[in-house]
Amino acid sequence: MNPITRREFVNHAATGAAGLAGILLSRTPPAFGQKREVTMLGWSHFVPESDKKLKELVDKFSKEAGVTARADHVPNVQLAAKQAAEVQTHAGHDLMMFYNEQGWRHRDSLVDLDDVVGELTKKYGGDIYPFCKDAFFMNGHWKVLESAWPAVPGNYLQSKFREVGEGPPDTWADLLRAGKKLKKIGSPVGIQISHCFDAGSTFWSVCWSYGAKVTEADGKTIAISSPKMAEVIEYYKELYASAMEPDVLSWDDSGNNRCINAGHCAWIHNPVSPYAVAVARKLPIADDLNHHSTPGGPAGRFFAPNARGYGIWKFSKNVDLAKDLLRFLYREDNFSEWIQASAGFNHPMWRSWEKHPVWNSDPKLKLLPAEGAFGRMRGWPAPPGDVFGAIDDLHILPDMLAKAIGGMPTKDATAWATDQVKRVLDTTRS
Amino acid sequence: MGLAWTPVPEPGKAGVGVADPARAGRRRLGALLQREHVLGYLLVLPALVLLAGLVAYPFLMALWLSLTDSVVGRPGSFVGIRNYVSLVMTDEIFRRALRNSFLFTGTAVVVKTVLGICLALLLARKLRLKKLIRGAVLLPWVIPTALSTLGWWWMFDSLYSVINWTLLRLGLIHERLQWLGTPHLAMGAVITVNVWRGLPFFAITILAGLIAINPELYEAAESDGAGAWARFWHVTLPLLRPVLAVVVLFSTILTFADFNIVYVLTRGGPVNSTHLFATLAYQVGLQAGRIAEGSAIALFMFPILPLIVYGQLHYDRLDL
Repeated sequence: MNPITRREFVNHAATGAAGLAGILLSRTPPAFGQKREVTMLGWSHFVPESDKKLKELVDKFSKEAGVTARADHVPNVQLAAKQAAEVQTHAGHDLMMFYNEQGWRHRDSLVDLDDVVGELTKKYGGDIYPFCKDAFFMNGHWKVLESAWPAVPGNYLQSKFREVGEGPPDTWADLLRAGKKLKKIGSPVGIQISHCFDAGSTFWSVCWSYGAKVTEADGKTIAISSPKMAEVIEYYKELYASAMEPDVLSWDDSGNNRCINAGHCAWIHNPVSPYAVAVARKLPIADDLNHHSTPGGPAGRFFAPNARGYGIWKFSKNVDLAKDLLRFLYREDNFSEWIQASAGFNHPMWRSWEKHPVWNSDPKLKLLPAEGAFGRMRGWPAPPGDVFGAIDDLHILPDMLAKAIGGMPTKDATAWATDQVKRVLDTTRS
Repeated sequence: MGLAWTPVPEPGKAGVGVADPARAGRRRLGALLQREHVLGYLLVLPALVLLAGLVAYPFLMALWLSLTDSVVGRPGSFVGIRNYVSLVMTDEIFRRALRNSFLFTGTAVVVKTVLGICLALLLARKLRLKKLIRGAVLLPWVIPTALSTLGWWWMFDSLYSVINWTLLRLGLIHERLQWLGTPHLAMGAVITVNVWRGLPFFAITILAGLIAINPELYEAAESDGAGAWARFWHVTLPLLRPVLAVVVLFSTILTFADFNIVYVLTRGGPVNSTHLFATLAYQVGLQAGRIAEGSAIALFMFPILPLIVYGQLHYDRLDL
């Protein structure tokens, strides 16, 4: 083999560099590298069978459409950072999953999905859960197509409640009473008060049930320092001290799932994923696990569903193909299979899907569709916007509770949270 | 000095326009490349382009963002140093992260230095299976941080903690410790993992320094009646000082900017008690979408680190 001369090396390197620079500058791959491809990024589902079914459906679409389609997954806590990275660089996936009000943050970068949602609504009916519309219908346009709003019922171990002579708690006060007895037999209640999504979900539920709010209906006047919020904090403090274990201060989103599936916790506030996993893995705890409606309080019964769905980036080069993939996934047969695989976790935004057999095939899941009536978007009664997504992502509300539990006077904890929310309002544009 | 006049040949005359212009161009390029300094700059150019693209551009971009009121996906307008002032003056979480960064770095580097010297002294002794042991010591350094930290996360887990299980069985504690749920224990946990991960770097580098010390110095000290401690204090430590300075410098920079360990173990919790600059910048800038403020938090490290580096180099009188 002839050794390469310095001149040849420089010539080849210069040619290669020029070619690469051309590709990078024009942002167009060479002809031999071009292929129709559509990609989507979502969370790693708490019911893994749902992701398996999604992959199966996406593969089916690839074959039918003669393209390459791919579904990627990341843990839910990393999704916001992925969205930020993709929107800042204008590169990445074509379809992106958005939680709750995350879509509002990126609404200017998302394609209108009015045509796709219009077609599906014609087929599935116009009766849509209001909280889904709040989350995904922005300034007169559908920007995100909902894929799942999980109900957040009470998950409880029937044997433990029987042992302490209690039934499933109807109110948060009932839970406190039962929780005190349960902790004494070594089976505490488990609600996260930490840096995770579930901590926020349950906070909102308790907050609304006691008539408290974070801002007034104008979304601008902060309403944290109120007697009702003080009541919420006092409730949490008592529940923590007498019915929970300190673990809850360090849990992530799966902490409560693991606690109840390990048979340690007797009650958690969560979607039905622990039960779905227990059934799928044939864990004996599945027989003992049951669900009841989310607890209520003096002001009513509420919960904050982590509604999620897919949007298409404006910078996507395959907008039409991405819309076709959505149409395919939401085709009645495919959508039905997807819901079935999630064991009822994935609830569509059209009420007509309440008749899906998955919620009637198992008596323990029967209550789920009716829970939709209690769902509110985080921040309610404030209008939807990206402020409450930021409050959630900064974990301000669980931190307020943790501070109070850690000994900070309630008044100081609410003052701290007020200051933090004010910072968000000042720096986040709706 | 007079200028020599050279007649300009007319096109079509001999020697002009007849020669192949491409060949002439190549000849000129060839002659240019024969000059060492031209070729030198050309060969360095790709590295410079990479540095500019991967270091300078993101840095300048972050600097610009920190001076605006941008949120993710939307350009902002120039606000000067408002973000920096607001962080220092009004953000209690940022001030906590600032304190944490110094506590985390200071404690971890001191512990790694002390343990690193001990481990290096141990490894320098004549041991059976010396090579295997030295290789095994490097394992924490070799395993990807996120992966090994996940292992630690399980060991600190409130429900399944093997550490709690052992302590309970030994009767040293009577109830499970909340390693990641109590602020002080959580900080202790993240420092422990950082020490565990960084120790091999210290031990192996110090070991290299130890091996380089001339044994005759020890013999001379011994003949002067110096005991083990005196030999360590008056011979080993002074001669290790240049190596230690470099190791401590590198470790300080890397520890100060740590992200993985805190993110995997605590995500900054409980109640923001373990946030460092990097994790807080990630939470504020990328997760909450306040990218301007996030950039300002991240850039706070920039003036601090050169100051630490300067102070350390000055102290050690190293002229690097």
